[in-house]
Amino acid sequence: MRKPSYFLSLVMLGSATLFTACSSSDDDTSGGGGENPGSDSKYVITATPNTSESVADYILTADQLTEGRISTKGNGVEQDGTYRYYVTTNNMFFSMLYGQGNPGAVTAYELNNNGDLERLTNFQSETVQAFAPVNDDILLTKISRNAESPMAYWYRFSTESLTFVAEGQINTQELADKENGEIAFFTWITQVGEKVYMPYMTVKGCCNDTFGTEYANEANIAVYTYPEMELETIIHDDRTSYIGRYFVNGLTVDENGDAYAFSSGIATTNGEVTSEKPSAITRIKKGTTEFDDYYFDLEEATGMYLTDHVYAGNGKFLGIMETEKTSAYSTGKNFVIIDAYNKTTTSVTGLPTASQIQQLTGRNSYVSEDGSVVYVGITLEGSEGSFVYSIDVDAATASQGLEVEGGFITAISKLDPAE
Amino acid sequence: MQSVNKCVRLIWLILLVPLMAVSQSGNILVSGKIADASGNGVYGATIIVGKTTYGVVTDEEGAFELYLSEGDHHLNISYIGYKPHSEVVRVKQEGISGLRIVLEESTYALEEVVLSGKSIVQQVEEKAFNVSVVDAKKLHHTTLDLAHALDRVSGIRVRESGGVGSQMNFSINGFRGRQVRFFVDGIPMDNFGSSYQLNNIPINLAARIEVYKGVVPVGLGADALGGAVNIVTNTYDKSHVDASYSYGSFNTHRSMVNAVYVAKSGFIAQLNAYQNYSDNNYKMDVEVSDLETGEYYPTRTVRRFHDTYHNEMLIANIGVVNKPYADKLLFGVTVGSAYQEIQTGARVQSVFGAWHRKGNIIMPTLKYKKDDFITKGLDFRLNANFNLGQEKNIDTLNRRYNWLGQYKEYDTPGGERSYSLYYFRNNNGLASANWDYAINSKNKITLNNTFNTFDRKGRNRLATDSERYEQPQKTMKNIIGLGYQYESDNWNVSVFGKQYFQQNKFSTRIDVTGSESEYIKKTNTFNYSGYGIAGTYFITDNLQLKGSYEKSYRLPDNEELFGDIINLEGNINLKPEHSHNYNLGAAYWWRFLTNHQLNFSVNGFYRDANDFIYRRLNTNQAMQIMDNLGTVSNTGIEGEIRYQYRNTLMAGMNITYQHMLNKTRNDVYNDRIPNIPYLYGNADITYNFFDVGGENNTLSLGYNMLYVHDFYLFWPSLGGKDTKRGIPEQFSHDLNATYSFNNKVQFTLECRNLLDKNLYDNFSLQKPGRSFYAKIKYTFL
Repeated sequence: MRKPSYFLSLVMLGSATLFTACSSSDDDTSGGGGENPGSDSKYVITATPNTSESVADYILTADQLTEGRISTKGNGVEQDGTYRYYVTTNNMFFSMLYGQGNPGAVTAYELNNNGDLERLTNFQSETVQAFAPVNDDILLTKISRNAESPMAYWYRFSTESLTFVAEGQINTQELADKENGEIAFFTWITQVGEKVYMPYMTVKGCCNDTFGTEYANEANIAVYTYPEMELETIIHDDRTSYIGRYFVNGLTVDENGDAYAFSSGIATTNGEVTSEKPSAITRIKKGTTEFDDYYFDLEEATGMYLTDHVYAGNGKFLGIMETEKTSAYSTGKNFVIIDAYNKTTTSVTGLPTASQIQQLTGRNSYVSEDGSVVYVGITLEGSEGSFVYSIDVDAATASQGLEVEGGFITAISKLDPAE
Repeated sequence: MQSVNKCVRLIWLILLVPLMAVSQSGNILVSGKIADASGNGVYGATIIVGKTTYGVVTDEEGAFELYLSEGDHHLNISYIGYKPHSEVVRVKQEGISGLRIVLEESTYALEEVVLSGKSIVQQVEEKAFNVSVVDAKKLHHTTLDLAHALDRVSGIRVRESGGVGSQMNFSINGFRGRQVRFFVDGIPMDNFGSSYQLNNIPINLAARIEVYKGVVPVGLGADALGGAVNIVTNTYDKSHVDASYSYGSFNTHRSMVNAVYVAKSGFIAQLNAYQNYSDNNYKMDVEVSDLETGEYYPTRTVRRFHDTYHNEMLIANIGVVNKPYADKLLFGVTVGSAYQEIQTGARVQSVFGAWHRKGNIIMPTLKYKKDDFITKGLDFRLNANFNLGQEKNIDTLNRRYNWLGQYKEYDTPGGERSYSLYYFRNNNGLASANWDYAINSKNKITLNNTFNTFDRKGRNRLATDSERYEQPQKTMKNIIGLGYQYESDNWNVSVFGKQYFQQNKFSTRIDVTGSESEYIKKTNTFNYSGYGIAGTYFITDNLQLKGSYEKSYRLPDNEELFGDIINLEGNINLKPEHSHNYNLGAAYWWRFLTNHQLNFSVNGFYRDANDFIYRRLNTNQAMQIMDNLGTVSNTGIEGEIRYQYRNTLMAGMNITYQHMLNKTRNDVYNDRIPNIPYLYGNADITYNFFDVGGENNTLSLGYNMLYVHDFYLFWPSLGGKDTKRGIPEQFSHDLNATYSFNNKVQFTLECRNLLDKNLYDNFSLQKPGRSFYAKIKYTFL
């Protein structure tokens, strides 16, 4: 029995060595100084590890955004996969799955008195392409990209009962009403007064040019009553291309109740940008369902086009800008403060240059309650890390704050402890 | 077609009139030939008549002559490396000539023989490559398919998303998907379509399965990154018919017929036909959602309701053997179809109730083999096939289901997942040629060339003029390999080089209003070369060392380049993956107390792979797309122990451990690759009772256990421990009992997942619980 046992022990020894070699690294404790002046509320930060396979998103919490360090290493609430989208409303944090047509589980969290995220419920939802809080609901829409089945489905989710309470359909081909059969594709949803405004682009939905269009130079917004979701009118304008972009909001209401519409001017046909209209801002005055004569050409003002925006307050927006119009899906890496009232723009200083930025939070940035600071998550190129930058809106200056180790920052939000 | 019909009729004749005895009557001379399974005469085999001392030894050709009296005689034939064989001959006055007796190889040695005769299984395993061989014949009584038989091999993990015919993921030492290539008799199985996959081919089709881990010999002309599986099908050099049928849990029916007719003239006709059917309606523990409110009810047990799978295949060959111009020349056709209902998406929350797929295969084949082609020592082999099969994806009901089978329906056009009625043909063609030239007994040169074509044509039946927008999608792939082998008494070495070539043609049609439409043509060409070396050394007759290295490439697959129509977008710019594979192994055979035998083997491996092809979402996140994204290293060890006592008791176990690390400089650098089992093994034991209820009747009891260590779904280092998702530790126990009656009839009873545990291969996708199967196999001749 000598030789066999020698081999056996070789197997065992080999395995043992490998087991030891792979013992897990020490658990990192979450950073942050622990300072928490006068409040038990927490910032909620989501991060996606920068890797290509088996990626899950993680939800982290922090006491403040201006300094310290948090990590996804051994820390954070693991989500079921990536392509999660987040929305905070009614002091609840919703984590939704983009499941490519498949239904999936959405998880709602609240902050408990220990300052930990607690799962409130799991519910089943469709994969949607636009969602936004409306009153005490979240309105979600699943939009067809196929002209053979030109239907959009809307779902009304109550954050009181935490269940879906209504749903309906919209024929997007009839809505678009185009000679060539193009269909409407909603870019996003915005509550304006008591109504729901849904800007859309028209797309072919066929023929190897799904998101291409023959109507590259027009803006359309469908106006629906709420909660009935009955089409009231369509607001149309020829001064810009479509409002918003795929999965990007282009319509924001200010404190006066006026809605400012942002167009990137990047409609495409067969993959080429064919919009002749510049990236610009237009406006719908409170209580009206038409654009007024307000027009601010962003390309003229900055030499760039806008890919996303965050509203700070008092007519001031953080504009995220890109230089070259090459694709409808690019994300800009240049930041300007746009004063929509005075039609001026100021470049933000103190931020990394466009070439140093790998990824940033757009819509999911966090704005302080008084509207004076916008917190943007930026991941730097060359493994230089991910940081939350605080942008002082009035001064148009930025400074580096909280470091998030082990992932791109995908969203920043804030929760108060639940009652 | 006429001759095929004739052949089919002939085979049915054989089927229907079994056991029409071969007996002749007459005088006292009995002559014939003793041959092995591949038809070669066995030199030196002894034939003893009954319990007498009278007998003869076969000559170089395996021929013999006996003089017997009229009446029945037992002939007992034995030779080292073969199972002892007993055959009754009825001698009448005319005598018998041309009696043909085939000896079956045995993996164990006869009592009185020292281990020196080697079975084919052993001969393959003793090659310099890191190879495992499954002796499929030993599993012919089971209801296993090829995939599940392979699951018992060290280093291999087969993961399924459900029951019979479900989506399968095969890995060899951590390498998976298209990094592993499959062959049938050395012919690449690329793109055989959905009706001809490893987990729907019954084990009875195969004689043995060779698994090459890491380094792949040049004779298999493949761009395999992590290994290859070669299924060697049954060959018969005499007429043979067997049939089997099994029935089991979840309304599972499987049947198979193997028939071969060999005429003296050298004419041969072969037919393999098989069928699988299952409702797959096993129980699941799931949260059921309310279709209106989205609320989940607490976990309950429900049956799967939309997971029926069936496939039917017919493989027919007709031709000649042992002719001056060909040792074998076969023309054949593989015809089959498959139907698959889709119950879930990637997670159990996605439930479907109407979406299904269909596929068929119509594949003409040509097989030619000639030894001493043109000149002595030059063996030539040529294979070609073309798949005319069609695949369909049918998702036309605008419904949403839950796990109770309830649904809500919208009266507008739409699908459950993606409104689709797409029909396409991939038009795959393949030709492979292999030359082996033995310069002398020690030096051999091998040249192999494998050529592949792909030309997809499809249309969406829902879109009226979709053909106008179809893009040409073509690839051409050629792999040429040259190897040199030197064989000495106690060592041998092979060196080889491979040239990989691929050309992809793709063009987009542009329609501009008011002008002629035009194509923008794109052509991508890859040209890479790889090489390797493999060597082995026998320290003693019982102790073997082997080592090998290869720099290998894996070319992008057609689906990865052009998409799968449904969920995968093509990426025409995909580069090949490449890897450095190192293997070092040892094997030891030990006999003791004359009847006991122990085998040990241990293999260590290291892989360093670059430009790993991963899935990611495409730009507008509507579909997935493959991309070159990663660098991965894998260090591992696998070991196996087998014990055998006579032909009575066989037991063994194997275990595999691998340490697969992400070496891409990102947030999870040096972290273990998640969602891949890294510690797993099998144990099995079989006990045979002989002469139960009569002479030549055998009762065999077997047990098999599968173990997989728990593993994380996502990167191990990330996230709070109590929030992490994973696949729990799995122990699965299978039992089977087989009763063989006079080597003609076999009855088998099988129980899988004996303890009725909830088993998972993929996160949240539960597999069948305890299930029972019964099988009967009858060998007509």
